[in-house]
Amino acid sequence: MFRHGLPISNRARAESVFYNFALHVHPVKVRKRSIKFTYTFGLGGLSAGLFFILTITGALLMLYYRPSVTEAYGDMKDLQFVVSSGQFLRNMHRWSAHAMVAVVFLHMLRVFYTGSYKPPKEFNWVMGVLLLVLTILLSYTGYLLPWDQLAFWGVSVGTNMARAVPFGLGDKVSYLLLGGNIVGENALVRFYVLHCFILPIVTLGLMGVHFWRVRKDGGV
Amino acid sequence: MELDLALGSYLLIEKMNNQRKLFAIVSVIFLVILAIAPFKGFFPEWKKYQQQYNDLVATLPQRVKPTEIGIKQVWIQSLDRVDRCTTCHLGISEPALKNAPQPFRTHPQIHHNVEDLGCTSCHDGQGSATDFKEAHGQSEYWDQPVLPRKYMEASCGKCHKEQDVKQAPILTLGRKLIVEYNCSGCHKIDGFAKQWVPPLDGIGTQVSSAWLFNWLKNPRGYWDHTHMPNFGIADSDANNLVDFLKSFTSLPDGSTLGTLPASLLNPTDAQKAKMLELGATRFGEARCVSCHSVNGKGGYVATDLGKVSSKVSTDWLYHYIQSPKHLLAGVAMPRFRFTDEDLAAVVLYMKNEFVDYDMVQPPEHTPDPEAYQKGLAAFKKYNCSGCHQLGTMNRAEEMAPELSFVGSKRMYSIDFGPSKIEKTLPNYLQAKLMTPHAFSATAKMPTFGFTEQEAQAITVALLANRNENIPEKYVRRSLPKSTFSPQGKFGKLVGDLACLACHQMEGNGRLVATDLSIEASQAHPDWIMNYFKVPYSLRPILTERMPNLFLSDSDRKSLVDYMQVNFIADSLDRAIQMSDSLIAHGKSLYFDRYACQSCHQIEGKGGYVGPPLDKLSTRLKSGWVYHWLKNPKAFKPGTIEPNNNLSDADADAITAFLLKQK
Repeated sequence: MFRHGLPISNRARAESVFYNFALHVHPVKVRKRSIKFTYTFGLGGLSAGLFFILTITGALLMLYYRPSVTEAYGDMKDLQFVVSSGQFLRNMHRWSAHAMVAVVFLHMLRVFYTGSYKPPKEFNWVMGVLLLVLTILLSYTGYLLPWDQLAFWGVSVGTNMARAVPFGLGDKVSYLLLGGNIVGENALVRFYVLHCFILPIVTLGLMGVHFWRVRKDGGV
Repeated sequence: MELDLALGSYLLIEKMNNQRKLFAIVSVIFLVILAIAPFKGFFPEWKKYQQQYNDLVATLPQRVKPTEIGIKQVWIQSLDRVDRCTTCHLGISEPALKNAPQPFRTHPQIHHNVEDLGCTSCHDGQGSATDFKEAHGQSEYWDQPVLPRKYMEASCGKCHKEQDVKQAPILTLGRKLIVEYNCSGCHKIDGFAKQWVPPLDGIGTQVSSAWLFNWLKNPRGYWDHTHMPNFGIADSDANNLVDFLKSFTSLPDGSTLGTLPASLLNPTDAQKAKMLELGATRFGEARCVSCHSVNGKGGYVATDLGKVSSKVSTDWLYHYIQSPKHLLAGVAMPRFRFTDEDLAAVVLYMKNEFVDYDMVQPPEHTPDPEAYQKGLAAFKKYNCSGCHQLGTMNRAEEMAPELSFVGSKRMYSIDFGPSKIEKTLPNYLQAKLMTPHAFSATAKMPTFGFTEQEAQAITVALLANRNENIPEKYVRRSLPKSTFSPQGKFGKLVGDLACLACHQMEGNGRLVATDLSIEASQAHPDWIMNYFKVPYSLRPILTERMPNLFLSDSDRKSLVDYMQVNFIADSLDRAIQMSDSLIAHGKSLYFDRYACQSCHQIEGKGGYVGPPLDKLSTRLKSGWVYHWLKNPKAFKPGTIEPNNNLSDADADAITAFLLKQK
């Protein structure tokens, strides 16, 4: 629109779709029934939107938060009590995170009940399951960062469960996650890096593939 | 064009179905909420207080600088604290606001600076918070709300680990009670040693079954100052325990009590009358009531003797007074050097005089054939070995929770049970101390019968036990305990006579009476020799007075000789030339310049505040009198005698005058 003026010819209309990222994500043709809101409930789009909110609020929270045993809890308290809109930021991040886990899960249920996992979309189903796992991991790694009692014991329990992995791998997995044998400074840094860098990057990559497949397979 | 737009949007709304309308409305509401949320930050609670403060100081007659609107904080790096309390408590260091309403009132005078320690180091609460509820810790997620005033001294104890914290009397009392009641018998508490408690070996020959039964059921029924708690023992357990304990008849070294002299076993009536009279005299001379009370009157150092005849056997009492430490290892009772005749008389007197006529006879019971086993089980169940020594039995391991860090106990780890009290840690501790079964009927802790003040003091002392990382530079500890232990003949006598139960020597011992560390610089040896014989020559009206130990001449000489060599300070030597002019000068100073007669008596004239000063020369050395006059508090910190800043010459003169008084 800004580059070419109002699309007045059919060609210009088509081009305004082709050259626009947001519109281009959608396939050229979709079935009429799948446009109906109650067919998809917009759950995939909501997940992507929540991921967007989480990235923005998360980046802003990173300005105030230091992943260290001595500072983490205090920084949280500072966000709550002295940073302008700090509590708002935290609440946005927290509730969006909860919502994202719920919405992604519902998205998976919807795909299952509408049979959208069937060929030719079986590859994207696998991508979707991976994205669900990544969502849960993001949620779980973020759980430790406030460094309060809930976080500490939540992660203690979680990593102790990881110890139950058979073939002697359990202790190794737990050690790898925590950077040691107890939930301490190393675990906090690891969870922080996972939460703010590694997992979001991987998620973003998989999201690209996921959306691309949606478009190729003719979904909404 | 505009018309088209308006028409277009109208048509758009017209065309929407209900679902979309709902979606549009919800979206708008959501957007408004999102827009409002960040604005909340511009109207915080504390701004209201700061404006109130500025309004308040504007009305004051004194000029007080109004505050700049904004969050204030004290950052104490070494204690890892950021306290924002001063955001609202704006007047804490402003004397003009002494009577202002809270939160603006001036902080009371204390020995610490807010800038050094912050607020929450002492007061608790959530220092980083900036609204009332969160800051004062009245929130589910903050375990340490602001300490109530009555437990305030607990915070002193976080750094002040000394036994005696002068500015914190409640804390000091609490720590003393923890030691006296031997809490560490069952609980592990760092820094609190176990107290001496009578060992139970030989108890079978010591006490009567009836007394023991009553005692186990309710110790305070016999003596209301005892530290032994009430375990709420059932009759059956008590009977088994009595039978179990009565089976221990041999002393710690395996021996048994010897025989009694014939005069004590079956005296004739004439003999008995004579012995009773002699016994009463010796009982008085020995000043037993310096340490023991008799039906509540007398000293506080040892047990009450008012009903002892109904408690102990004649046999045991005779041998106990003859050699206390042989029967009760570690007891702080001196071995009086009674002659056999005197001893028999004293024992007979006590057996005759101190009878409990009101003693309730316990219900009859047939001994359980398994009484020993059951008694032993009960002995273990109530952790009697936590306090009492019996044979080689050890205290039960981990009988009760450790209390070294009880002040940092997390709220989620406290079970309040059916109790309805407000759920805070101080409330829990106080209630537990007052009624140990308040939170669980099956709790094992016995009832000590603390008063409310005592329970409060112990709560304060316990709350001071935190596991906070306090830098060592803030921590104050007692001086290490003196390891002074006299050796040789003197050392044996000191042990035998339990001198350290009342006197201190080089920092060792309990300070009921005087410190003997520089005794030989103070008193003449002849006087000390004589004092052992007539201890009532000094301070005759005191209750906790020196007893007559009936020492032999050689023992007295050993004691005095040792003191002359060891308990002497050369710095206190001062020879004074007794000249008439000096004495006359001293006399004028005594009566006119310093008016000593307003407190002290000489030849029956003068005040009653201080002791009379006649006959000083027979007792005191000139150097000591001189140094005392120069600075009385150096010798007795609590004395009310003023330091008159005497010149050396004046002090010499007054000393000469005082020592002239015969």
